[in-house]
Amino acid sequence: MNMTNRIQARLIAAVGGLLAMTVAGCDNSKLPTVNNNPNAPTSAPATAVFTNAVESAVGTWLGSGYDLRDISLLIQHFAENQYIGNDQYRGVNATSLNGTFSGSYQNALEDFQIVARAGTAATDPSLKDPAIVMQTWDFGYLTDTWGDIPYSQALAADSSASVTLPAYDPQQQIYNSFFSKLSTAATELAATSKNALGAADPIYNGDPKKWAKFANSLLARDALRIVNADQATADKELKAAFSEAGGVFTSNADNAQLNWPGDGVFNNPWAVNFASRDDDRMSKTLIDTLNHYKDPRVAVYAMPAQATGLYAGQPNGLTNTTAVAYSDTASRPGAVFYPGAVAYSNSPLGGSGNSAPSYLMTYAELEFIKAEAAERGLGGLTPAEAAADYYAGITASMQQWGITNAATISAYESQPEVVYQSGLAGLKQIALQKWIALYSDGGQAWFEWRRTCTPNLQLAVVHAFSYIPRRVLYPTDEQSANGANVAIAMSRAGSSYDNSTPVWWDKTSAAPTCQ
Amino acid sequence: MQSHLWRQLARAGAAIALIPGVIVAQQATTVTGRVTTETGTPLQGASVTIPSLSVGTYTNQDGRYTFSVSAARSAGQTVALSARRIGYVPKTTTIALSGSTVSQDFSLVAAPTQLTGVVISALGVAKEKSQLGTAQQEVSGQQLNVTFAPNIESQLDGKVSGVNIVGNGTQGGTTSITIRGYTSITGNNQPLFVVDGVPVTNADYGSQQYGGGLVGNKDYGNAIQDLNSNDVASVTVLKGPNAAAIYGSRAANGAIIITTKRGSTGNTRMDVASSVSFDRASRLPDFQNQYGQGSAGQFKWVNGLGVLDGNDQSYGPKTDGRLLAQFDSPIVNGASQPTPFIAHPNNVSSFFNTGKTADATVSFTGGTEHSAARISLSGENVDGIIPNSYLRRLGGIAAGTLTAGTHLTLNGSLNYVRNDGLNRPGQGYGNGIMEAMFVWFGRQVDMNSLKANWTKSAALNNGPNNREYNWNYSYHNNPYWMMYANPETDTRDRIIANGSAEYQFTDWLKGQLRTGTDTYRYNIFNAYAEGNIELNNGSRTVDPAYNGAFANLGDTFTENNTDLMVTATHDFTSHFNVNASVGGNRRYSSFQDNEVDVHGITVAGIYNVSNAGLAPVNSGYTNNLAVNSVYGDATVTFNGWWTVEGTARNDWSSTLPAKNNSYFYPSLNTSVLLTDALPSLKGSVVSYLKLRGGTARVGNDAAPYQLFTTYVGNASKFAGQPLFSLSNTQLNPNLKPETTVSNEGGLELGLFDSRLTLDASIYDKYTTDEITSVALPPSTGYGSKLVNAGKIDNRGYEAGLTFNVVQSRPWEWSSTVNFSHNRGKVVSLNPGLEDIQVTGFQGAVYLQERVGKPFGALMGYGIKRDSKTGLPLLDDNGLWQPTDTLQYMGTVQPDWLAGWVNTFRFGRATLEATIDIRHGGKIFSGTNFYGTATGVLASTLKGREQDWDKPGWVINGLIESTGLKNTNNVTTEAYWQYLAYNNIAEPYVYNDTYLKLREVRLGYDLPPGWANKLHATNANIALIGRNLLTSTKVPNIDPEFTYQTGNNQGIEYATLPVPRSIGLSVHITP
Repeated sequence: MNMTNRIQARLIAAVGGLLAMTVAGCDNSKLPTVNNNPNAPTSAPATAVFTNAVESAVGTWLGSGYDLRDISLLIQHFAENQYIGNDQYRGVNATSLNGTFSGSYQNALEDFQIVARAGTAATDPSLKDPAIVMQTWDFGYLTDTWGDIPYSQALAADSSASVTLPAYDPQQQIYNSFFSKLSTAATELAATSKNALGAADPIYNGDPKKWAKFANSLLARDALRIVNADQATADKELKAAFSEAGGVFTSNADNAQLNWPGDGVFNNPWAVNFASRDDDRMSKTLIDTLNHYKDPRVAVYAMPAQATGLYAGQPNGLTNTTAVAYSDTASRPGAVFYPGAVAYSNSPLGGSGNSAPSYLMTYAELEFIKAEAAERGLGGLTPAEAAADYYAGITASMQQWGITNAATISAYESQPEVVYQSGLAGLKQIALQKWIALYSDGGQAWFEWRRTCTPNLQLAVVHAFSYIPRRVLYPTDEQSANGANVAIAMSRAGSSYDNSTPVWWDKTSAAPTCQ
Repeated sequence: MQSHLWRQLARAGAAIALIPGVIVAQQATTVTGRVTTETGTPLQGASVTIPSLSVGTYTNQDGRYTFSVSAARSAGQTVALSARRIGYVPKTTTIALSGSTVSQDFSLVAAPTQLTGVVISALGVAKEKSQLGTAQQEVSGQQLNVTFAPNIESQLDGKVSGVNIVGNGTQGGTTSITIRGYTSITGNNQPLFVVDGVPVTNADYGSQQYGGGLVGNKDYGNAIQDLNSNDVASVTVLKGPNAAAIYGSRAANGAIIITTKRGSTGNTRMDVASSVSFDRASRLPDFQNQYGQGSAGQFKWVNGLGVLDGNDQSYGPKTDGRLLAQFDSPIVNGASQPTPFIAHPNNVSSFFNTGKTADATVSFTGGTEHSAARISLSGENVDGIIPNSYLRRLGGIAAGTLTAGTHLTLNGSLNYVRNDGLNRPGQGYGNGIMEAMFVWFGRQVDMNSLKANWTKSAALNNGPNNREYNWNYSYHNNPYWMMYANPETDTRDRIIANGSAEYQFTDWLKGQLRTGTDTYRYNIFNAYAEGNIELNNGSRTVDPAYNGAFANLGDTFTENNTDLMVTATHDFTSHFNVNASVGGNRRYSSFQDNEVDVHGITVAGIYNVSNAGLAPVNSGYTNNLAVNSVYGDATVTFNGWWTVEGTARNDWSSTLPAKNNSYFYPSLNTSVLLTDALPSLKGSVVSYLKLRGGTARVGNDAAPYQLFTTYVGNASKFAGQPLFSLSNTQLNPNLKPETTVSNEGGLELGLFDSRLTLDASIYDKYTTDEITSVALPPSTGYGSKLVNAGKIDNRGYEAGLTFNVVQSRPWEWSSTVNFSHNRGKVVSLNPGLEDIQVTGFQGAVYLQERVGKPFGALMGYGIKRDSKTGLPLLDDNGLWQPTDTLQYMGTVQPDWLAGWVNTFRFGRATLEATIDIRHGGKIFSGTNFYGTATGVLASTLKGREQDWDKPGWVINGLIESTGLKNTNNVTTEAYWQYLAYNNIAEPYVYNDTYLKLREVRLGYDLPPGWANKLHATNANIALIGRNLLTSTKVPNIDPEFTYQTGNNQGIEYATLPVPRSIGLSVHITP
């Protein structure tokens, strides 16, 4: 073999060796580590999951999609000046609130479930129970809006049972579960001295005593809600709420409220809406009521109309053509809901709304619950106690909205039409004050109107149905992905399932204020 | 299985290492020369070989070739030297291998449709066309560059059958290309692009794909546009997975093989190609000019708080010159003084500029006996049709070949491209320039006022504080202020580098090591001035309490591919030839994305994160991926007329679970040249007839990180607290690869001395076990889960017919028709699942994949109708009602596509024209949906001929509640708006049929004397035009549109029309 030949042979050996090395070098056993996700973990701190879920839940029910731009129109707190569809009841179909339904299960309820699981594993009620209370608060809006919903089998796709098609539970069973969960939570929270959440809890800073009060207050809300359908249970659960360890709200300092940071990333969702939209006006129904009673809250709830400087409302359900006249003659919502400046207009639009709180449940509402329970002799209370609770509710609402002058409040309360009258008239007064106080929580105001028929709302001028909707149709995502179970729930609701079909607790025949 | 394969391959490698070398000669013969047409035009890609010695090469773009034969092999003998190129009659001559340089030029006679010559096939291997068993089509650099298009994909428009190319109207915007339909529901459907043997990325920066953060609906195009078509020697489209099985998973949608121009030996030569063209918006909506801004006939401007001056519709008063306070009326003592309310018919068209596109490529080639190099520099400058927008591209390629001895050949190339974009126009909902500015618009608005005063503040017309001078302060910004005061810039630096070493061990065995890297860095920067009211995800881009905002996005991407391949060729007898390759590939890719959004800055004009007034919102992610592969390919040819080819590949992908990460896919194809097998067939009618058929299976992996469900973090803290949320997609630790199976058959026929040729294919391909996310009921806590499910079937046929109508000099006329039909169908989805939603528009229409329906089903709400009479069922007010459920409105896939390319030659003059036609399929037009609701379109004039509400409309229908004939008179405004309010899509779904005169070129070769003065062999000047005519029945929009290369197609809203351009080009050939 000559030299060239030898070089040639070595070269070939080198290339062959290289091929062999390449093959050996591609060690396939290392491939899975390439696929370790560097972007997101497969487990996360329960505290951080809780904070996110609270933000999401509050944004869903007290934000702009469900509350501000849909249900607050039905309940005639607001009216639409443009994009008038929802004000004509076109927003309660299967499409419009689909995202509200989906989002609450996916972004809040599932995450609360994870936190509750972590709390159970750590046998720490201060971690578990706030998540359970928040879940119950959230499920309450869902069932009161849609009726029967997936509950006992919900949120279980990742469990060992891997339920991918959850059944819809009858609402009565859901409510019974609420009662038992809230009672257990309140008892456990009142007893614990731990605080697992701390600053990760944007509502109560992790304080289990405050959470116990919220649990009992929510128990009272839920118990009274079913009073026309199952008075015995309502009575029993109200009693539990008022007597259980931990107690209920006793002042506005106990309010379950989310204080938005207002840092431009996490702003109050109404302020975010008003930063770019100018289509909401105050409803004539609400403003007329406030004006009629010379209510000092009118200056907080609303702005003076642009053209007149007066507080005035717009009728609900106008057309684009007929709404035009109200563009500048009807009041916009109050400056407390507006961000610092808005682009579509000069002053006076502008307020502190970016960091305005969202109210999950207030002391005022609790007092109105107590007043009604007392007037009806439920929950261990007597009719004689009703007046004091009624006035306490009004006072709390005034103070909550920044009206602190005692003389102003007392002047309002001493008007002949506001002075508490007992009996049926008193029940109607309580319901009307609750409707006023629940401003900014359109969902609760709507549920209460369905239960109490108060105030006596008139149909929107132009209306997609000949009635004010009493429920929202099952959302499209569930219809397409869980169709069989939706069909069962629909047939259980009645043969003529539509937006007028009452949910289980909605029995106006048994409601004294509806007669 | 896996280790077994490796072991075998390792054994093969070791065996190769033991093969003895051959003697290296000391004196080689260099064979060099030039191949041209009869008229002297250089022929690129011609094969020049000494068949008896199995040596040879291809000519470069100047028609030059050089190769050497070792002295040991030549030994003074006389051999046959052949030059062949597809489309030309081959020539053979004899040369003596003297031991020194032998010069031999060839001049080939055109026979443009002969089935002879070579084409570049998979793995960059040159193959005899007569022996190909799969469908592929080649486009030469010359055919490609008839006119100047903004990207290489658009250059292919109409020139290839079986390919659907859709462009868009923004400079540098996306062009989508699909071959033989869609195979994947949610994954990629674009073909794989391969440049000089190495895959390159075609990353999608279209809108919708790129919806996150502040960078909204702007279309930054797809990455393959970085390639300069003037550097391309040829493009080969491999149409089915059959032809592409060897490239791996990503070629399941076909492959586009691009070969760039190479250097040639000899003196340095220069090539110059340049063109300039002028672009106009080709098709703007037909606007009405009789009614201005407002609603119900009312309008009056009072500093944003007048009568409906916040309204952005055109159902206002008649533009009859009545005196009204308007946004540009003079202000006296703080009050707006009424001015005549008149129409400005050109207020949209005058916003658009005449765009200008200029490009130039200058390249140099040259070399020595053993080396050749090419250096190319190119620049492209597009001034967009939108004011203050441009795209500039600067690129350079250096490529070289070095022959070291007679056995080793080294190749290397380095391609650098830099893109600079300014103000890519937004499209669609949100930031779309058409949407934001002209679909919701007042027809009386005087664009000149906006243009003249955009630098001034709103104080000039009593507008709100902190805003620019404008016509509407509720929903709009001044369009000029948007373009000038809110600059968005983007830059992409890209490097594609590859190098290879080829070693010829013996006559019949060679090895090749090749590595290539494709890397880019992309930065997008958006500045938003104070007062910008664009929305992103429902919240304001600029917090109104602050003095501006910005977004800064940075992406980096790198992919490396390394291949080692050994190829053996042997003629066992003169009747039996074998060609076999075996190789391995390692692919590694890495992608990083970082984005910073600042919604409020403290000091105006300083777009730096240190100036953030509000907490910056940060996000980012990394994707890494590795795939190891081994592959093999064997081709056996009998008697020169029957060829059988088999391929096999096994991949191991990092994205699949270890137990499922290995997948094997084979293919088999064959071709028979019947006219050679049965010579009696050949005659004056039939020149040749070839039949082919093949079957292939291709596996495909998942995207990275699809196995384990994760918690999604948020860089923003809630009052200082970290946030995590469980992802709404349930991932799947048991994923397996998806599989595409394809069967195809074809024939190639030449008639009348090959004056008429036909190349036709029929195919059926289906994809099973699609890796796709299917909806879960939201009540499970998840929105979807990832599964292997479903089957998509595509069937179709395609044909290319070329007819040399006139061949008598000086006249020539050749005509080619490319035709394709494909029908994709969703055969099944996950059990129990009826549909998968791809995208939707405003609750009115959705693009879905539905079991039993064609791929890309448009589902929308129709007009509720009486089942007996078909008349609309109206509400009590005599207005429209929607159907209760979504209706199937057709597929977005076309029925058929056709391209017609004509070339006329008379002496030195050439006229080329390409027409392309799309027939059928449906589109939904959001521009028409909202353009009627806002009353800006001319079609909304009917019903308000006398005044805004007279005579109005009485819809011919029945009142649903009473069953009686409707007698309600409604206004035109209600007539149209109740369609939109009720989400009724039906009237806005159109047949997407159109014909476009895509390219026209009138060129002239200057007389040789003139060219010689330029030291050139040829100089050509030409008038060029693109998109000159569009014929369609779709109203108001350009029916050709896309936002992205993904599957969100067929739903249009506020797109810019593809521009019409006319220009001049010059090409000087050395």
